[in-house]
Amino acid sequence: MSGRTIELVVVGAMLAGTLAAQTHKDYRFNVGPKAGVSVNNPFGSVSVKPATGNVVVINAVLYSDKVEVDNNLVGNRVEIQSHLLPGGDADSGRVDYEILVPADASITLHSSTGSLHAEKLHGDVTLEGAAATVDVRDISNAHVHVKTLNGPVTITNVQDGHVEVDSLSGEVTLTSVTGPLVQVISTSGGINYIGDFGDRGEYRLTSHSGNIEATVPGSTSADVSARSVRGEVHDDIPLQPKTHTWFPTNNGSAFWGTMGQTTMSSTVVLRSFSGKIHLRKRTSK
Amino acid sequence: MNCIELQASLAETDDGSGLGRTSEQRAHLKTCPECSALVAELDLIASSAIELRAADEPSPRVWNSIEIALRQEGLIRPQIRQQRPSRSLLPSLGSRWAWARWALPVAAAVLITVGVYVRQHSLVQQLARDTAPAAVPNEVSDVAIAGLNDDDLLLEAAHQSPAMQAQYTDNLRRVNQYIQDAKGVVAANPNDEEARRSLMEAYQEKAMLFELAMDRSLP
Repeated sequence: MSGRTIELVVVGAMLAGTLAAQTHKDYRFNVGPKAGVSVNNPFGSVSVKPATGNVVVINAVLYSDKVEVDNNLVGNRVEIQSHLLPGGDADSGRVDYEILVPADASITLHSSTGSLHAEKLHGDVTLEGAAATVDVRDISNAHVHVKTLNGPVTITNVQDGHVEVDSLSGEVTLTSVTGPLVQVISTSGGINYIGDFGDRGEYRLTSHSGNIEATVPGSTSADVSARSVRGEVHDDIPLQPKTHTWFPTNNGSAFWGTMGQTTMSSTVVLRSFSGKIHLRKRTSK
Repeated sequence: MNCIELQASLAETDDGSGLGRTSEQRAHLKTCPECSALVAELDLIASSAIELRAADEPSPRVWNSIEIALRQEGLIRPQIRQQRPSRSLLPSLGSRWAWARWALPVAAAVLITVGVYVRQHSLVQQLARDTAPAAVPNEVSDVAIAGLNDDDLLLEAAHQSPAMQAQYTDNLRRVNQYIQDAKGVVAANPNDEEARRSLMEAYQEKAMLFELAMDRSLP
């Protein structure tokens, strides 16, 4: 038996052992309109997609017998909890979830270290995780609330959303996110907004030491104020300056002006203490 | 006489009553509404200032003493023009328009006084900022009152993996700096609503840090 063959056998045995340790669990709940779904999963990922009909389908992969899945249907609300048993830790306590929910369901997901993903929903979405990576896309007419410690946050294609993101040090990227309120607060993470700020919304991007970058098309209509206490502020887009301001705007650390149509404009507030702020124009490809 | 000549002549000849105006001045005022309005305003101011002048005018001996001192210092020289009744270079307060001649030096004195005050005030504020560590106990107590005690957080984070402990410690330091900076901006601009909002957001970040640490620990 050659060395190469032995290597393959060993790898195969390890893989088989890992797969043998995994357990698949499936759960199915019939719910009414606007159901609630809550998942608390300390270690592992949670992915939520729309189902067909008023049904919640849960596929869970448990990585050891040191964890079990508690599930409960209370009224119109489904509650899922990864329950760590004695001896469980971040590896053996891991559970990965694939969940289908009615598109109008409101979901609440918690995870410390896994990834959190939600897409194609129009119910409220609340995602919290310390080091969890967060990915939300294709949401409409809903609240999207995200809290992370240092996990990166990516939110894409949210229309008419009420979006609030709090992150201590994770990078936050918003692409084509519009709505009456879009707010990001970060302590040291950077904030990147790519889109047109919609119309008549309020957009607040605040970071203590992280950089803030907003890339907008030339057709954007917005009332933009940017201010960095100790950082720099750059503006690549000619703005119609405000004649009345309550803070100095002439020293490269602040600007305030209007772009596009004032009657359709959103209010955009960019704030940082020591990070750089950059408003740039999106170049057509 | 044109507008400029009229306005230049007013300070020397007009006592605010209109009686001492020349025929040229009166002719120009009849044909020029702008100058006429200006003179009307000046007359009103002059008539209102009579009582102020009477109350505030120092003794002539004061002006004489000042003039003598300035001459001895060589800062002023004897007037060459003889046509004026007074030889003093210091404007007399005898006429009704004299208050206007004193307006510039008085304004300069006020500005210098205000400047010194503002400078001293800003120095006090700067000193307060520079000595921020002395104020730390108060600031910590603010947060402690809100139930955000750093030791509690670190104790809770001790249950986490070493990597996560480091993350919590690092983020705690950053968010405390955030609060300090936000407080500094609020102190410098107490009426800045945005600054106050930033401070609130900084506290919100710290509250979230506690929430994450305490909500997700292992059983």
